[in-house]
Amino acid sequence: MSWLRISLTAFAISAALPVHAQTLTITTAGGDYGNAMKEAMWGPAAKELGYDVREETLSDGLAALKMQVTSGAIATDIIHLGSPEGAQAAAQSLLEPLDYKIIDAKSVPEGAASDYCYPFDSYGTVMSWNTKTYGENPPKTWAEFWDVAKFPGRRALRANAQDSIEIALLSEGVAPADVYAVLSTPEGLERAIMRLEAIKPDVAVWWTSGAQSAQLLKDGEADLVVTWNGRAETVRKDGGAADYTFKGSVIGTDCLGVPKGAPNKEAAMKLIAAMTQPVRVAKLTDFIAYGPVNPAAYEGGLIPEDRLKTLATAPENAGTSVFSNSQWWVKNGEAAQQAFDEMMAR
Amino acid sequence: MTVTVDPALLADARRERRFFLSLSLPALFIVGLAAILPILWIIRQSFLTTGGEYTVGNYTKVLSSGLTWSALVTTLELSLGTLAICIVLGIPLALALASARPRVANLLMAFVMLPLWTAILVRTYGWLVLLRRDGLINAALTGSGLTAEPLPLVYNFTGTLIGMVHYMLPLFLLPVYAAMRDIDPNLIRASASMGATLGQVIRTVIMPLSAGGIFSGSVIVLIYSIGFFITPAVLGGGKVNPLSTRIERALSTFQDWGSASVLGILLLVLMALIGVMLLAARRLLAQTTVAAAHA
Repeated sequence: MSWLRISLTAFAISAALPVHAQTLTITTAGGDYGNAMKEAMWGPAAKELGYDVREETLSDGLAALKMQVTSGAIATDIIHLGSPEGAQAAAQSLLEPLDYKIIDAKSVPEGAASDYCYPFDSYGTVMSWNTKTYGENPPKTWAEFWDVAKFPGRRALRANAQDSIEIALLSEGVAPADVYAVLSTPEGLERAIMRLEAIKPDVAVWWTSGAQSAQLLKDGEADLVVTWNGRAETVRKDGGAADYTFKGSVIGTDCLGVPKGAPNKEAAMKLIAAMTQPVRVAKLTDFIAYGPVNPAAYEGGLIPEDRLKTLATAPENAGTSVFSNSQWWVKNGEAAQQAFDEMMAR
Repeated sequence: MTVTVDPALLADARRERRFFLSLSLPALFIVGLAAILPILWIIRQSFLTTGGEYTVGNYTKVLSSGLTWSALVTTLELSLGTLAICIVLGIPLALALASARPRVANLLMAFVMLPLWTAILVRTYGWLVLLRRDGLINAALTGSGLTAEPLPLVYNFTGTLIGMVHYMLPLFLLPVYAAMRDIDPNLIRASASMGATLGQVIRTVIMPLSAGGIFSGSVIVLIYSIGFFITPAVLGGGKVNPLSTRIERALSTFQDWGSASVLGILLLVLMALIGVMLLAARRLLAQTTVAAAHA
């Protein structure tokens, strides 16, 4: 009868295992950013909760999320998205509602709050320039970015309407607070597109990935590059002849969501709550210059004083910037992108 | 004159044909599974709304958009441009390879094949290093005083075309080289001995006999080029937008699978049209050659 005892023991062990080692999968963008999130956020949180967390990396989270949810083969419990994509995913019911009994609802400022995708860090779409080209006197505002007579040089912008149309309006002197009100009128969108068309002859490259924008800045392929602050900071730190400003930046957030029908929903909510504790999102800035959304992370000296100026959401950088409006983009994104693509094809 | 064939032999031949046919079944099964099913799925998807209801809205939306047609023009310009350059560069190269001594030909062939063994992303980024403003080529040009300003070689149509030709040339060369190598050298000697000049030999002997290879090479180039994505995306600098980039936009920016499927079907139709046109051209060519030979 010994075989029976052995198999019974095996059965008991295998039945007990899932309780002891909860297995979860998290999907991030990978690269330096993905590593930073692992080191600062979900790595320590998984250890604390005793979870066994596996990482998947994807550069196009929303397309993959849609594929997984639609086909019913959900391979991840937590997915990292840009907030506009998060809002888009929520609108297409691809995400579970966040469980604010587990996650602290007060950790998010009202303007950034979401029922489906938890915003945890922020970045600025900034103006960066080659310091060899402009020396001590670089363009300081978007109006000067458009002034090709005063600041000759090759421009590089993102091949996407997102952030570009906001910047185009700022360059014409629209106040940061009015940007979305203006864009919501048909003439407003048209005005932004016309403004982009005006700079088009001086745009050497319309880039499609953040890594590409950093390369253009580093190689001097373009003199003025619209890029994300983390990328510009990395080029500057690596000794590239580059600098950037947060003046007039468009601030976006990244968020964490749980795919609809994810296998370990509750554990996923617990991991999101644990990995976004103030100390952990503050720690993220050790690795990459993306500032916490949770105001508590800026308190108690969690982030060193000299690093604050490299973060888009740091109090001293906030004044002139626009918060990217995910709701506006969900509603008008397709029309805006269509108009942008038509401008590019002209 | 009638030839009587032993019926047993005929039955044998039939059995053999059937046997070979059955050997191809696993391959046919895989092709059916991996190619036909997804295409059927895409066709179905093209008639669905995001909510999963039947509609022809995706077709009206995609076909009424000017962006689709300008992307179509870009796709054709890129594919035909690539093919034209492949023909101009590839045919002399194949001639040289076919007439070289076997050892030299093998060595040259290895150089030609080298790019095929390198990942496309690596090759594409390699071109960036060569073609950008302070890249090797521009540094040589401005350094030697040949040009005052760096030439715009990349992040435009030129750069995309260079990258695509680099990818497609070996694939064009292989069938052309194979066809030229198989030409009986005695035919060339015979025509030369009857007073044909080199130009006449190429025109009346080599080209007609390697037409099949040139045709296959052209089909491969066109079919590959029509769906090219990475090269225009990296080397085009956002300014070169063929249908493949429209598909990517529909999928990743809009999550609009319906429109993406319509664009995919458009590509498929385009390929079918090109296939039919090339086949017709080939038949016409064969007819005129035969007619000329009989005249």
